[in-house]
Amino acid sequence: MLGNHSTSRTSTLARTVDRSRGAALLGAAVLSASLAGHAAASPFQADDTVVIEAGKVVVDPSKTDGSGVIEDGVVVVEGGRVTKVGKRGEVEVPWEAEVVGGPEYTAFPGFVEAYSSRGMDRANEGIDVAPFLDVRDSVDPINVYFQDCLRWGITTVNVQQGSDCVVGGKGRVLKPVGITVDQMTVRPTYGLVLSASPKRGKSRATQAQALRDAFGDLHRYLDEIVADAKDGNDRAKREALFQGRDLEGENGKGRAMKSEADWKVDGLELIPRGAIDEKQAPLLDLVEGRVPAFFHCGSPQDVHLALRVAKDNGFLGRTTLVLDDSCWKAADVIKTAGVPVILTGPLMHTETDPVTGEETETFVAGVFRDAGVPFALSSQDSSTASLWYQAARATGLGLTREQALAAVTSVPANVLGLDADVGTLSTGRLGNVLLLSGDPLASTTWVEHVFVEGHHVYDRSKDPRNKILIEGDDPLDYLSPAK
Amino acid sequence: MIAFLSALALASFQPVALPATVPQDGSGEKNRPRRSWTISADKIYTADGNVVENGFVRVEDGKIRAIGKGAGDAELHVAAITPGLVEAASQISLGPGSVEQDREVTPEFGAEEGIDLFSTDWTRQLKDGVTTTVAIPDDYNVVGGQPVVIKTGGGEPTFEDRVVGTGTLLRGCFGQSPSYNNSPFSGRPFGIFNRRPTTRMGVEWEIRDAFYKAVRSRRDASFTYPGADVLLRVLDGDLPIMIHASASLDIRTAMLFKEEFAIPHLVIEGAAEAMHEPEMLVRCGASVVLPPFSFSGNTGTDGAYMPWNTAEKLRELGVTFALSGTGSSDPDQALALQPAHAMRGGLPFDAALEAVTIVPARMLGVDDRVGSIATGKDADLLLWSGKPFEYTSRIVGVLVSGELAVDPRIGQEL
Repeated sequence: MLGNHSTSRTSTLARTVDRSRGAALLGAAVLSASLAGHAAASPFQADDTVVIEAGKVVVDPSKTDGSGVIEDGVVVVEGGRVTKVGKRGEVEVPWEAEVVGGPEYTAFPGFVEAYSSRGMDRANEGIDVAPFLDVRDSVDPINVYFQDCLRWGITTVNVQQGSDCVVGGKGRVLKPVGITVDQMTVRPTYGLVLSASPKRGKSRATQAQALRDAFGDLHRYLDEIVADAKDGNDRAKREALFQGRDLEGENGKGRAMKSEADWKVDGLELIPRGAIDEKQAPLLDLVEGRVPAFFHCGSPQDVHLALRVAKDNGFLGRTTLVLDDSCWKAADVIKTAGVPVILTGPLMHTETDPVTGEETETFVAGVFRDAGVPFALSSQDSSTASLWYQAARATGLGLTREQALAAVTSVPANVLGLDADVGTLSTGRLGNVLLLSGDPLASTTWVEHVFVEGHHVYDRSKDPRNKILIEGDDPLDYLSPAK
Repeated sequence: MIAFLSALALASFQPVALPATVPQDGSGEKNRPRRSWTISADKIYTADGNVVENGFVRVEDGKIRAIGKGAGDAELHVAAITPGLVEAASQISLGPGSVEQDREVTPEFGAEEGIDLFSTDWTRQLKDGVTTTVAIPDDYNVVGGQPVVIKTGGGEPTFEDRVVGTGTLLRGCFGQSPSYNNSPFSGRPFGIFNRRPTTRMGVEWEIRDAFYKAVRSRRDASFTYPGADVLLRVLDGDLPIMIHASASLDIRTAMLFKEEFAIPHLVIEGAAEAMHEPEMLVRCGASVVLPPFSFSGNTGTDGAYMPWNTAEKLRELGVTFALSGTGSSDPDQALALQPAHAMRGGLPFDAALEAVTIVPARMLGVDDRVGSIATGKDADLLLWSGKPFEYTSRIVGVLVSGELAVDPRIGQEL
């Protein structure tokens, strides 16, 4: 029904657009959802093969020597991944593939959100230690956040629980496409959230105590079940079987504890891994370095606690700090610890002198850049201050273009361990491609088309929300059946 | 030795004692910061339709003395220079205490009596590039009084150094604000403890009543009305009236009010939904100040919604408009970002520049002193790291009344 509103761009693109006609409905779900639903019906999407042409192909935005940019380039996506990228005419293109794009576009890798608690129902649980939770049960595929992601060019999102728990639940890396969490999943059960900053109404000491206690509990629990097992009491296994948990295969086997923590439990090989309590198992995974940790710090003093807890319990090497703006003051400590950071607060940290009232401003990302700490920027909200805008503002405030763009593409890809999949358009990466109307950081540039794993999932000319907000269309027009 | 130590202590204390403009020997001028500079730039946007490429601006004693091609022996060079920004609708530094509560219409009141010139709000705006701003009474009254136009820096925080204009316009407000909290929707009945008005209709009636009384006082010498002379100046076209109205029904009320009293100069401020009735807007000839853009579209008051092409549509219609950051402390609502947002909605650069400089200066009645780069005007200049109003550009220097408030050489406030 929106077909009447759209203006054809290039003829090639128009063809693509027609095939995804089903997407053009009003509502939150649709943009991402219905396309996945129509995927099977569309020959273009069925084989995941597409040839994307652009006046400029930015292969790697972090390259400073210009080698990351190809003028008049082409990106070939086959089977959902980039198989070839190069100059148009020089790259062999599959003869049967759909060709989209044109010289007016800039092709750019999809932005990567390193950490977000959006897109789900109530991001926080009220108890202190809740690693048995999983955002899988909370993510809402039709949440408007995921639609906003496509609108502003974010194609990979690390969705994690909020920072209210001392130890929160398991996160998940998603693409903002699909009508079920499984369709959206890029990497299931990824990461655990911890928080060193006190909850509302709690003191720092209480928070620190609860944080250490979580691992103290794990230690005691493991000691107990090992002692039981040595006594011939297989309590843990029987409980697990009673709860109907899976003790087949790897889960049925025991394994000695392997950790860099400053404590250790001998004899863990006596316990089938699947028999370990669901509250403790994720923490054991953390201590054994099998899952990454995202550690919230609300102030510089929290950084010390976070790094200490991570080090004592053996997961410092897999820790990423999620920082508020004031944490720049701990940049040297963070550098020494060698962990990357995700900056979630405002780009500028403002302090007011209590005596003179004088304000001092500090450009947070600049401090980490100077300290040599890898940093990713993050959206301040789902739309206003999305990643491209953060990168543009950070450039204005003192980063180079390449540093700012890396902080929303390749750095977050590295932080998520997805550098072989996203963050650049190099061969072998997922076919997450944006077609922009111009320079990614210019005020007048728009995300015109988004491809995720080779699927055409967003077309600005058919985005009703954009037309209402930007072009002043009457929302009622989109509800009238006549149109 | 002791003398030496105390001198050291004094020296180290000096940064706090800045600005070192306090007359210490009675001469005053001697200790003023430097107010003469020559600054060159790749591009100078004068905001009166001209762009000087590879030119310079010479500032002497706080005023612009010359603009020319070439380097002009400049001591500073930047990518671009624009005039200092002019904020047409800031509500900073005037709290509820500045609103008279025994009358709804207080046109004779001047906001200059209520401002705190020592507030850090001015410094914050200055760092964000706003060199001239306006302090407006809070909108608890239907007609709150006359705003004061002031500089955000330069010289001392005194009336002499900072105030650019008083009594240059009158402020009114439609919509919810003047009636908000005046009476409970339910519960206690109306009594002497409740203020009027309590509805939008009441708000409109208050302002019409006041203007009718002003007209009557002109015809009937025995009838007096407080502030009638001010209202008559509005009717005669000697004083513009700025009325806050965000939602389309309030904007319509403002336009009908203008036509009913044939008011020559009306500025509708906060006019998020100005494009709902474009024909009427053009017919009535009012000018407009837009509230800050937001990605959700919600901005201004009364739940108003503003699409991003509003500024461009107004330009196409030939309606005079200014952009505003309303003095918000949200960095994304800063006035310096509004032109970028408006350009994202289609507005050309030149129109965006004028909408934050010369146009608001005219609305505030101070365009003889600020709002463009012209010989004889105040030396209020912004020095940019790149093309002005791009998200990737930064204001690296601010000159206000010829004083370098933000120094591009160190990128920090002096």
